[in-house]
Parts: sequence; structure tokens; C-alpha cells
Amino acid sequence: MVNVQIDGVWMQFPKGTRMIEACTQAGKFIPRYCYHPKLSSPGNCRMCLIEMGMPKMGPDRKPVLGADGKPEIAWIPRPQISCAQDIAEGMGIRTSSPMVEDCRKGVMEFLLINHPLDCPICDQAGECRLQEFSVEYGNAQSRFLDQKVKKPKNVELGPRVTLDAERCVLCSRCIRFMKEVANDDVLGFVDRGSFSTIACHPDRQLDSNYSLNTVDICPVGALTSSDFRFKMRVWFLKETKSIDVNDGLGCNITIGSRENIIYRITPRENNDVNSCWMPDSHRLNFKYLHNERRFLGPQIKTGSSLAPVEWPVAINRAAEQLKKYALTSSLAMIASARMTNEELFLVGRLAKALGIQKFDVLPRVGEADGILIPADRNSNTSGAKLLGLTGERPGARLPEIAEGVRTGAIKALLCFEDATRCGISETDLAKLESIVTMDILPNKTTALASVVLASSGFAEKRGSLININGRLQRLNRAISAPGEARDDWEILRDLIQAVSGSNGIYMIEDVFKQMAEEVSAFAGLSLSKIGDLGVQLLSGDGKAAERLDADQPVAKTPTA
Amino acid sequence: MTITPEFEAQIDEVITHYPVSKRSASLPLLHLFQEKFGFISDEAIAWIANKLELQPINILELVTFYPMFRRSPAGQTHIRVCRTLSCAMGGSYELRDKIANACGIDIEKWKANFAGRETGDEEHTHSTDLEQHHVHNAGHGNPIAVSADGKYSIEFVECLASCGTAPVAMVNDNFYERVDPDKPDRIAEILESRESDATKPKIRPPHPKEKRVVFANIDREGWSNDIETYLLYGGYQELKKALTMPRTEIVDEVKKSGLRGRGGAGFSCGMKWGFIKPDEKKPVYLICNADESEPGTFKDRYIIHQDPHQLLEGMIISCYAVNARLAYIYIRGEFPEGAQILEKALAQARAKGFLGKNILGSGFDCEIYVHRGAGAYICGEETGLIESLEGKRAYPRIKPPYFPAVLGLYQSPTIVNNVETLCDIKHIVKMGGVEYAKLGKPNNTGTRILCVSGDVTRPGYYELEVGAVTMGELINDICGGLKPGRKLKAVIPGGSSAKVLKAGEKYKLKEKQADGLMAEREITLEDIPMDFDSLAACGSMAGSGGVIVMDDSRDMVETLNNINEFYAHESCGQCTPCREGSLWMKKITDRMIAGGGVERDPAVLKSVADNIAGRTICAFGEACSWPTQSFVAKFKEEFDNYAKKPVPPPMPPEYNPDELIAKEKIETVPGARNGGVMAPAATK
Repeated sequence: MVNVQIDGVWMQFPKGTRMIEACTQAGKFIPRYCYHPKLSSPGNCRMCLIEMGMPKMGPDRKPVLGADGKPEIAWIPRPQISCAQDIAEGMGIRTSSPMVEDCRKGVMEFLLINHPLDCPICDQAGECRLQEFSVEYGNAQSRFLDQKVKKPKNVELGPRVTLDAERCVLCSRCIRFMKEVANDDVLGFVDRGSFSTIACHPDRQLDSNYSLNTVDICPVGALTSSDFRFKMRVWFLKETKSIDVNDGLGCNITIGSRENIIYRITPRENNDVNSCWMPDSHRLNFKYLHNERRFLGPQIKTGSSLAPVEWPVAINRAAEQLKKYALTSSLAMIASARMTNEELFLVGRLAKALGIQKFDVLPRVGEADGILIPADRNSNTSGAKLLGLTGERPGARLPEIAEGVRTGAIKALLCFEDATRCGISETDLAKLESIVTMDILPNKTTALASVVLASSGFAEKRGSLININGRLQRLNRAISAPGEARDDWEILRDLIQAVSGSNGIYMIEDVFKQMAEEVSAFAGLSLSKIGDLGVQLLSGDGKAAERLDADQPVAKTPTA
Repeated sequence: MTITPEFEAQIDEVITHYPVSKRSASLPLLHLFQEKFGFISDEAIAWIANKLELQPINILELVTFYPMFRRSPAGQTHIRVCRTLSCAMGGSYELRDKIANACGIDIEKWKANFAGRETGDEEHTHSTDLEQHHVHNAGHGNPIAVSADGKYSIEFVECLASCGTAPVAMVNDNFYERVDPDKPDRIAEILESRESDATKPKIRPPHPKEKRVVFANIDREGWSNDIETYLLYGGYQELKKALTMPRTEIVDEVKKSGLRGRGGAGFSCGMKWGFIKPDEKKPVYLICNADESEPGTFKDRYIIHQDPHQLLEGMIISCYAVNARLAYIYIRGEFPEGAQILEKALAQARAKGFLGKNILGSGFDCEIYVHRGAGAYICGEETGLIESLEGKRAYPRIKPPYFPAVLGLYQSPTIVNNVETLCDIKHIVKMGGVEYAKLGKPNNTGTRILCVSGDVTRPGYYELEVGAVTMGELINDICGGLKPGRKLKAVIPGGSSAKVLKAGEKYKLKEKQADGLMAEREITLEDIPMDFDSLAACGSMAGSGGVIVMDDSRDMVETLNNINEFYAHESCGQCTPCREGSLWMKKITDRMIAGGGVERDPAVLKSVADNIAGRTICAFGEACSWPTQSFVAKFKEEFDNYAKKPVPPPMPPEYNPDELIAKEKIETVPGARNGGVMAPAATK
């Protein structure tokens, strides 16, 4: 540990801590624009200037100790940036001396003289560092009487990012991100001095699948998401901590919603999962939740078409049909590796109650991008394996089920995916005597189903998922499901109840509790113990990981 | 755009100069393309990026950073007129207009384009009227005006480093000095551009008070920059001697000599070399900083043009001393002739075995290459220079951790020394450190080349023992005094970033007496000894040795405005205070001289400068704020005279700067300036 004096108080920090981070940990937040803990430090914004000193050395080359037995500090007369240097033994830092305050005021004034001051129409308003630091270091009135530098506005840097160069403070975070994290050195500065502007080469654009991260880290309103632009003031957004379900990594996200509508999804820092980033494709994939074709309630087949019914009717009809084929080999099930652990656990119970022998999940595999997107595009393959809904090779039994449907050996199907994507043709599907399915949007299977159970999307429900690295993470509800659509676990619970009687489950916590009793990997955990950053549940090879007591508070990690 | 095999071979050869990183060849390749095609097209950018395995944006970043690169064609004959202080004092604004007239270029429209560029005013920049006149914006570089027939183009550039022969101009690659705007014949002559003034032999005996060491052969009769001449007068003898000495001994001699860097900061050369560990595992690089661009300084030009082998000998000795096997001479882009002369000198030295493998049988290998800059002042800052040499925008690095001696070029230990400093090394080896230290004064040893420009009868370069003459002797005796009937008003003693000294000021100088005691004496401007410590004690600096003299005909607000324009143009834009502050100061002085100065302008100027100095990544922050700080403080009355209008009210009516300039009287709104209290009439 290294001893550092911050604003007169001696404290200890681990070796290798940046000065700016040490100050933050000491409760002395240092304003910054260009510094980002995940990127290199150019030290260009000059907002984090502090007063710094090193121990005064005596003639014996040893630190001179003061009356308190601590080293006396020889203060450097010039302010120093705190973002690029690690702390050192005996260092002194002053974060709020008159000189430091003066420096910050000076930098703030400089940053604003050429800034358009268009906060009322700026999307960044409310989460803008210029606004935040203006409160403490801004001037009430401008001393600037001259013409501002004009720069390009409304520039489409790429398909998803819009630039307003006049708002830019030239911190270079976006340039560094594209180069250092996204491995696509596409952004740069053109021109010079006060005329410097962020740009791409005319033949290239900012079209990386990680481009929207530049919007997240832009400390001002220069880079905005073309999708979110002008849609909602950020202070009206309710922020829900959840996880992404587009692949097996499960990027930690914040869902921004207002009155049951999601406006944006942004990555949330988790150094064990996604650092501070996430792919554009994933964050923009939420609009289907607001699709007007969503099932607003359960439906049953009446004649040749589906008709809405009350929930008890639908559940009873489903149970009736399933029971007819129970304990025979004519009933098969396709579960989903996108379901939560709680749902999968209940699906397993249901399968057991109905004596289903033939079941598996639909695997989804794509190309890994080498950054955050893994090959596995299912969000809970690990959970499906752990809970026994699939074997080592997910989908290995699907051909058998498809063959059974084709030959007529299988007469009824309990289906949590679109069966036509599982190797079963529509014609074969139509031959089935009964299909019970649960989904949120119509597909080829729901069109042929006997019972459709209207369930919830990822932002509408709670539950847990295990990522490809064995980390148990938590979904949270940001909005409610439309109409009469219900939580998946509730539907399953009711179905089990209808098939085999009471099961003592009243809340999702009860599902987890029962699951933890039966599956040793979950022992000692509960949904609340998973926390916002998740728990390492399994090691990479699927074995139970040695985990820290989940009761321990999650380590604090610095945020940008 | 056709790339011939010959051209590509030329490109491939240039790339071999950078064995560590191909990216370093970006600037040389851009020069080659601009020479061949007249400008840098987007296609060329893509081609170069592909060749160097870079992204096109990496090259576009450079083209728009370095003002010498153009993205559209110039005229067949391209004229650069120097705009900076000494040339402006010598009439370069008039010269620009006269040359433009002679070339058939409408200068008023061109100036409008200047204004348009500053404000981004679409009316100006996209005016079809301007397009007809072929006035276009060439990236960040200065706007270039092309004559209607495409024969000529003109550009008003920053310092060309020949302040002693102001005003100066470049016609294509040829250089012309003392171009009198009032002599149409001279203008016609330079437009034909037959023979460059730089290559014309000059013979000028030194002033008796001079002590010529580095400049021993400059302007000497019978001297040429050829290696044979150099060898005839004992050239490369010191290299032979040095190669027999242990490395540490040379470093010790340099330490003993007390040599301080001649680039501007005056840092001890021996100490700088001492930062290189003798057992360093990483390769060590040496870079000669020949990016001479501090306005008022023009010494390196003559060493390079007239005595290049002296520099090479000094460099090879220095490389040997710090064990550098690869060295670069970073020469400013505006010295194309100098670069050629150095290339030729390097070839000659290589042929004679002074350079290359196993130099003079010593077993020491060393290679030196010339690397041309492209018009960016910031490349004179050593870490900016290193970035530029790595093929990037010349953004100075943060220190710590990037001290060049530890993490310099390609993240390896690197020594960056000024041209004059490296030449001094040769003489230190010759004389021995102790003997060299006897020149000059303690802690201010050796000789310095002082470059005097501005309002003196005989401007020029004078090599003097450090501290041997006073400011008064320099101006009145050596430089022949002021122009007839004029009085001294002010002196900038060490390049335009040095704080100005005002005539009539009194300074307190502490000096060691014969009895060893310190005594303080009061001196005037004329009494200041021209050495590092004395000038620092008087509140300015010896800097780069560029002395700019101003007589009582000079308007100090206009002078500062000229300096501010230079720094606003040259700020690299990396860090906030300098990027925004330098342009702001320029805008204020612009408005003041246009008649729109308001009461608080001098105070705001000072405060802006105070908010820059000491808070930036590199010393440019000080360089751009010291002039403002010192001019405003020392010539307060003049500044106040320009700042008489009341501050316009912050509430409506709003004023734009043009209205502020045009309005005789600025009305104020009582309510607005009274904490928002409404005027009584409004309550009714």
C-alpha cells in the first residue's frame, strides 16, 4: 500500500492507483473530460489539474518528517494533471486549493467560449459534464464578445452516430475508443488549433458495431445516438439495471424507459463481463418489445383460428391437452436456451410431471466478433445445461424430435421456440394434434398452436441467466408486459399447478428458493444476492466455481 | 493519379529511412506526392495509407494539420510571403498586396476569405464570387489565392525564419530576402524565380566584438558547403578524436563545458545526455531539432546552408557519445533548399566513411536521415517533434511519463538537441570542456548566435560570447543603432514568446562581486548582459536568441496582435487552455485594433493569458501567453487607449463584434446591468 496525503489527510491506496482514482476513492471527485479509466490518458482537457507535491528530501536523501511524524511535502508550484500519473509514496495532493479552483474555472470558461450553449435542444442535457461542472466552476456571464468558431453540425458520422462539432470539447475519447477498444481506427482530428474537428476520412464512416459506445463516453453533446436523438429528455428516463439477452455474454445494461416505453439501452460497467461497452446491434434490439403485433393475452384455437380467452381458460385448455399425452412418448418439448433459470427450472418440473422424454433446446450460433459478441447467441445455454434441459451439445436431440413429428410418433408438442426453426416443417407441424406454445410475438408455430400463452419480453420480467463464462446475472423489470401478457414463470407455475396440483410457489423468489434447494450450484443464493454485477457461479468448464460469499458487498469499481 | 514504377521506387527508398516504423514515412511521402501532383488528393491519401498500412484518416489528420500540405492545386508558381512580426514590421502586408496585384489576384476578396474562414461564415466561404476568383480554402493551412489564369498563387504564411532580412518570400522552393514592396522590378524578378537568394554566396566579415566559433565559416570568403572545403579546413578531425575517447568521457566533457541548450529552454546539455543510461538495453535515438521557427530566430538556416558538415560532425560525435545508431535531422518544411544541402552533405559524409557502418574503423555504426516537417511551429517542441517524426499530428506529449530521454522516439530513449547545440559539441571536443567553459560567464558558457531583427540599422546574426555584450552594445554598436531619429521603445530578447522589455524600465540584477559577495545593482534595458541568467533576472528570457527591436514608431497593440495571430495559428489544438485561449486573445486584439475595444479588454487579455500559462501540456502555453501578459502590463496606456467603449449589455440589444466596431456609442440597458431589477417604467 502507498501512503498519500489528500487534502491534508493521509490515506493508503494500492500501488498502481491513478491519482484521479485515489482522489475519487477518497471522496474528492476530480472533474474530468478526457480521462476514461478504460482508455489511454492523453491529458488534454486540463480539467483534472490538481496541486501535487512529493516528500521534501533532507540532505541525507531521506524524507523530512513534520511534527506529526509524516513526511513534509514540497509542493510543485505548477498545477499537475491527475489523470496520467500513479500515486507514489509520500505524495501530497490538493484537490480544492484556490489554485486548483482557479484552473478549473479557467478551463471551463475556455471550453464554453466557442460552445453553442444550446442546452435546451441538446440530447446530452441532464447528463452533460459541461453542465455538471458549470454548476461549480462556470461563470454566470460570458466575457466573450467575439464571433464563435463555426463548425459542422448534424454530421452523420455513421449510420448510428450524429456529430455536432461545435459542442465537441476535443477530448479524443471517441478516437481512442475506436482505436484501442473497437480496433477500427476510423476517427481522427482534422484541422488544427481551435478549428480542430472530429472526422472520418471521406471514404469511410463510423459504422463499427461498437460505434454507439462513443456516444456513451462523449462527455458532452457532440456525439449523439441517431436513434435516441430528440426522443426524450434523459431526466425523464427511469433507469433499470439489467442484462443484455442477445448473446451468451450478457452485457450489463441500463434500460432507460418512461411510462412503459423503452427509449434507449446503454451499457453498464461490469469489469467481469463487458467492461463499459456493448455492441450497437444488441443495444438497439429492443424495439420488438413495442411491436403492435404483440400477444396481449392468451389465445386458444377455436375452429381454424386463434381467439383470445381468459387466463384460467387457456391454462386449463393447455393442461388438458398436455395431460392427454402425458407419460407417453407421443409428447415432446422444445425449451429455449433464452429462458431464465427460473423458467427453465419450472419447465423441467413440468416436463417431469408430464413424463416428457424427448426434449431439447434450439442452439443459436454465429460468428464471434473477437470483442464482446461470442459465438453462442443464446443468453442462457449454461443455465439450460445446468438445469438439465439440454445435453453437452445443445440441439442434439432436435432431429429426433423433428423425425418423430414427421412420422407421427409425436402427437403433441410443448414448445417455447418457433418449432419451424428447429428442423420441423410447417406441414409436419400442422399434423400435430396439439401444440402448446408460449411466446410474445406471432410466428409460424403460434399460427398453428392449440394454445398460445402470452408471455413477457426481457425488459418486462425478472429472473436470472448464466453467461458463457458461468456468471449468474439478473434481469430486472423496466416496463410491464402489454395487455394481459404475464410473466413466464407465473404461466409455468399455473400450468404445473393445473397438471399436478399445488406447488407452493407464490413469488419468483420462491422459484429461486426451490431451485437452490434442488440444484447445488445455486445453493445459498437468492435473486437479491446476485446483485447488480452478478455472481461467478460456474467455472469456465461448467463446474461450480469457488465463489465469494454472496453476502459480501460487491467491490466498488470506479466509473467514468 | 498515376504512380509510375520510378515514383514508387522513390517512395520505397524513402520508407527505408524509417526501419522502426513505416508510419514515420507519412510526411516524406506527402511531400513527394505534393511535389509530383501539386496537391494531396483524397486518392493520394488513400494510396499512402494503404502503402504504409494505415487507415486513411491517419493521413488525412496529417494533411489537415500541417499547413504546407494542400488538398487542392495551387498556381504554377506558388508564392509564400512571411506574415510574422519582423517581416510585418518590414512591410510584408504591403508586399503581399503588391505581389498579389502583380499576379492578378484580387487581394480584397482573398482577405474576405480569411474572415470567412475565421468565422465559418458561409456567405464568405461559399461565395460564388470567390470561386470565380479561384480563392479556396486549403484545409487548415492559410487560405491560398490562385490567379484567374492559374499561373500564380499566393499564401501568407507564418515565420520563414529569416527575420534579419525582412520582408522575405518564397517562390516555389526558392527563397528571397529583403523584397522591398516599393520596388516593382524586384517583385517581377522574384516572380520569375531564377536564382534563390539562399544559394547566392554572401561575404560579410564578422563584427569585431563577435567571437565566431559555430559561425566561423559563415559568410567567409572562399568557403563553400562542400565536404572538400570542410576537410581542407580541418573538418571531421574532432570526429576522429572523439571516436578514440570512451563515451562517458565525451559526456563528461560536455558536462564540464556547461553547455546549455540553444533552442530556447536553456537546459543543460550534459545533464540531458546524462539521463541516458550507459548500459541502456533499448536502442537510443538522437534527433537534431532543425525546426527553427521561433519568430525572430534565424541562425540554424545559415549553419545548414553554409556549414552543414559542422552540424553532421557534431551529430555523429553526439550519436557516439550517447550510443545512438540512428539519428534524424528534423528540418522545417520551409527549408527545402536546406534539406537538399543536408542530403548532399550526408551522401558526401557517407562516401568518405564518416557515416554508415564501422565509421573510420571504430566499429561504431551510425546512420542519419533528413526528415522534413511541413510548416507546424509546434514541431519545435521536442515531444511534438517526436510525434511528428512518428508520422502523427505533432501533439506534444504529457510529461511525465513521456520524457524523451526515457520514452522518446518509438518509446525509446531519445536525445533531442538544437542545431547550434550540436555544432557546439564539435567545438567542445576540440577545445575540451573546461576550455570551452572559459568562454562566456559561469553557468552561461560558450558563445551564442544572437539574431537581431526589427528596427535596427544592421539586423542580422552575431555570434557573441554569452554575456559579453549588453543589450545597449548589441543594438547601438553591433547593430548600428536605431534608424535615424528614432528612439528605442521595446525589445523582445529571445524569440517572440519571450516577455517584452520596455525602454526606460529598471531592473535589479544580483551579481557576484570580485570579493565573492553578492551585490544588487539597478540597471536599465541597455545595461542587461545578454546571457541566460541576467535576462531571466530581468523577467524575460534568452530563449532562442532572437532579439526583436522596436522603436517609437511601433504601435504595441498592433505588435501584440501580430504575435497573437502567430500563436493562434500555430496552437496545435490538443489541450484546452492554449487551443481556446490563443485564439481568444487574438480575437480581442483584432477587435481592439479595428476600433471595437471595450473597457475591460486589457484586463480580460491578461486574465486569459494567466489562465493559459502553466496549465498546458507543453511550453506553448507560456509562449503564447507571455507576450500578452507583458505587453498589456508594460504598455497599459496604449492598450487602454484602444479600449474605451463600454462593455455591451449582456441582455438585448445584443451586439455582434462588427456592430461593436461600427457603433460610436453603445447604449446600456439599466435593468440588465442592475442585477435584473426592472426599470420603474416597466412596473406600470
